[in-house]
Formats: sequence, C-alpha cells, structure tokens
Amino acid sequence: MQSVVKQMFHWMPLVFGIGFIAPLIAQIMAVWQIGGPFGLSRIAVGLVIGVPWGWQTVIRGRWI
Amino acid sequence: MMRKDIVPGDGAIAPDMPRPDALLLAGDRPALPLGPDGLDRYTRRDLRREEMVIAQRFHGGAMWPYAVAAFGCFAVWVAFFPLAVMGMLNLPLACVLSCIFATGGYVTSHEAMHSNIARPGERLRWLNEAVGAVSTIPIVFPFSMARLMHLEHHYHCNDPSKDPDYTDEAPNAIMAIYKTWYNRQPGGDGSIHHYKRILTEMGTPEARRALAETMVLQLVFMGVLFGMAWRGYAIEVALIWWLPRHIGLSYIRFFLSWAPHHPRQGKIGRYENTHVFKSRLGHVLSMGMQYHVIHHLYPGIPNHRTKPAYAAMRDILKARGVDVSPL
Repeated sequence: MQSVVKQMFHWMPLVFGIGFIAPLIAQIMAVWQIGGPFGLSRIAVGLVIGVPWGWQTVIRGRWI
Repeated sequence: MMRKDIVPGDGAIAPDMPRPDALLLAGDRPALPLGPDGLDRYTRRDLRREEMVIAQRFHGGAMWPYAVAAFGCFAVWVAFFPLAVMGMLNLPLACVLSCIFATGGYVTSHEAMHSNIARPGERLRWLNEAVGAVSTIPIVFPFSMARLMHLEHHYHCNDPSKDPDYTDEAPNAIMAIYKTWYNRQPGGDGSIHHYKRILTEMGTPEARRALAETMVLQLVFMGVLFGMAWRGYAIEVALIWWLPRHIGLSYIRFFLSWAPHHPRQGKIGRYENTHVFKSRLGHVLSMGMQYHVIHHLYPGIPNHRTKPAYAAMRDILKARGVDVSPL
C-alpha cells in the first residue's frame, strides 16, 4: 500500500500537468480569445505544454 | 562546607577560606558564579519568578473570536466554489480573500495546536479540535500533521536535526522567500516533504494517522483541482484554492518560521531561539510574530495577547539577554 502511494505521488506532477495545467492553459486561451496554432485545439495546446512540463518535473524534481 | 567564592558577611575567615589578600588578588571576580548570560543563579531564579507572575496574567481570556473567525472564514471560502460555478463570484476579490483565509487560518489553527481554545478533558475540547481541523484545509495541511510538527518545533527549536522547521533557514529575506517556494518542489526536502519524513521516522499511531490524513487531503485537493479544471473552471479553482494556498504557505513560512527564528544556527537557548524584530508590515500583517519570543516562552498565551505580555515582560527579557532594542 505504502509503495503504491509513493508511486502515485512520484508521478503526481505528470498527472497535475494533464489534470490541471492543460485545462488551465486552454481556459486562459479561451478568455483571451487565442486559437491553437497549426489547427490544434486549445486543450491540445494545453496538453502539449502540460505533459512535458509535468514530465520534466517528475525527472528533475522542480517545476522551474 | 563554605564555598571559596563567597565572601562571608561578618568578616570571619573560615578555615578553608582564602586569605583576604588572596581575595584581593582575585580582582573583579564576582562573589557568586555567573552563567553565560552574566547572571548568578539567584538572579536567574528571581527573574524567572517575576516572568511567570507576569505571564500568568496573560494566559487565557476570550478565545471565541478565534472559533468565529475559523468557521466564518471557512464557510465563506467553501461558498466560493459553488458561487464560482454559478458565475456569481467576483474572482479577484475572492482570490484576495482566499489568500487571507489561507494565511490567517494558520493563526487560528495555531491556537488549537497549543490547546489554547480548550484543553484535553474540558467541555469545549471538541471546539478546539474542530477549529484546528477546518483552519488549515485551504493550505492542504491537516491539523494532525500541523500539531505534531509544531510541537516538535517547540521541543527542539533550532536544532538542525530535530526541528522540523529548520529547513526554512536562509541567510536573508530574499533567499528566505525563495526557499519557501523551493522547499515545496516535488523533489525538495523542506516543508511538507520534511514533515512526512519525520512522521515516518516517528512511527507512532499519531504520526501514522497524520500521514494518512495528509495523503487523503492532498488527494481531495488534486481531485477538486482536476475535476473543476476539466469541467471548465480551471481559472476559478486556481484563484480560489491553488494560488491562495501557495501564497499562504509562502507567507506563513516567511513570517511564522524564518523571520522570528533567523538566524537559527546555534541559537537553542530559551531566550535566544527567537528574536524580537520590527516588521515593515506592522503587527497585524506580520501576525504578531514580532513578539514570538513570548510565544516560545509561554505557548499558552494567545497570539493577540503576546504584544501586551511583551510590554509587561520587556525589562525581564532584557535582563535575560534578549535584544529588545527593536521594540
């Protein structure tokens, strides 16, 4: 149980990138009426930013 | 047996007393041995008695405002969520208020940590526990963990290996603010990461419960963030909970941990583990931390009475070697 919880929190930045950062970026783009480049939807742009950002945080241990 | 370092009052010379010329050679040697604070033990004892008499006057008093503030602010903050979904919320104002609730919640919780609202066995003990429980939810810091870690801080104040808050130490204010953020990073070893490690090492039932509650509260926090964000309310939940939590935690770490204890290194004595300082933000915005020395000497004195208690105790603190010049 303890190792499962540890693993879950280890990957939490990636989940945070998908679960929070991606929709946050999409909503901010919608408020400012910015469309996605190359025909991408706003949520796709959010995921393109949120997933790698969360991934690098898992690896580096720091958001910035 | 008569002590050699005490000059008898009647002028008699005891058999084991040094001769008067030997006393003269001793020069300025004091009549009684002095401690590192320059005081003999009788003076220290008298000062301590005076200090305790004064402290007694400031214990207790009306604590219901803390309960009203805790429940009132929590209720308003919880109401922000449905109001945001219904589009009936002024988000910038709600964000500012949420920051105040997140930060101020630690003050009300802090009184509960020291059982200042009601002690174990008292009729209103449930209120003490309830105030503590709701106050720190906005910063996602369960009361069980907050209390255990804060009491450890009091027991081992400024001990690098035992004080849970020692990781907040920084050489200056700018670095301290930076560290409040850095310590919260997923790979960091400060803040809640440090607390989790200490609780795991403690291994007591209370520590295990605190760890479990921390996990549950963090998962609830993430669940609310993700749920609201994917339903189109990411900005709302960011301004009501995510951002106020970060601002509150940094503010709390800076004003309640770094500012009153800096510099921590080697300062573990009763009268040196905190320092008196004048805050540029004033008494209320620095949450009374200018007088944190009173809190560490007498945690039973509620936050709002530390300022008058300090004024009454200032001369004694000065005699005990506390630098009271800032205030």
